[in-house]
Amino acid sequence: MAERITFDRSLYLPEAVDAAAAAYAEHANIQITPTADAVVAVISDVGDHDAQTVANAFCNHVLHETIALRRQAMLREGE
Amino acid sequence: MAEEVSTQESRLGFTLGPGHISFAVDESVYPLEAVYGACYLFLEKCFIYLSRAGSGVVKVRLTARGSATPAELDALAGEFANELLSQATRLRLSQATMRIREYYTAAALRAASSAPSVDDLLAELESEELLEDPLEIMVPWEEKHGAAESESEPKKDPK
Repeated sequence: MAERITFDRSLYLPEAVDAAAAAYAEHANIQITPTADAVVAVISDVGDHDAQTVANAFCNHVLHETIALRRQAMLREGE
Repeated sequence: MAEEVSTQESRLGFTLGPGHISFAVDESVYPLEAVYGACYLFLEKCFIYLSRAGSGVVKVRLTARGSATPAELDALAGEFANELLSQATRLRLSQATMRIREYYTAAALRAASSAPSVDDLLAELESEELLEDPLEIMVPWEEKHGAAESESEPKKDPK
């Protein structure tokens, strides 16, 4: 069963979703669909893993990437 | 994410669902940077998902990594809320003191750049004529006063 996750653009960076999808490519099939105000990720083919756990871990990864990218951008602005 | 099937209110007023707890954060009270700061510290403790619950409102959903009782989820959300408050306070203090911190950093850097280097100090020492002794500090006491004192000392009568 596929898990559909919507990442609001005002909270998550699209680059972070892409980076997380690349990191999870070995563990699941992740389809990314950008929309006007969000990026939608559909996670499927998670193998033996629990689909909900993979989706939750994917969300954490996207959030971590978003925070890291935002902090890097803030540091660059300060230079 | 899938919609919550059944929800109830926790002891602290958060929304409890099966294995997760959620609550809304007003961005006018807690800036988004504070939300991110708290999330960053809780990424290892639980799964976090953020969504928009309206304009200027962030919905935070915390899911336990393992099985958790409603009381444990309530405690988790309570800890998150405390951290959120701490992050917001730090952020406000940081913004309030930014100018003065920048001023002190700039002053320290200016002072460091104008301070003489070790080589300069060594060159200054070498240039000084250390062998000059105008106060005759290096002259022994006997040489300086001994003779004069022995002359002025009254001679004792041997008888």
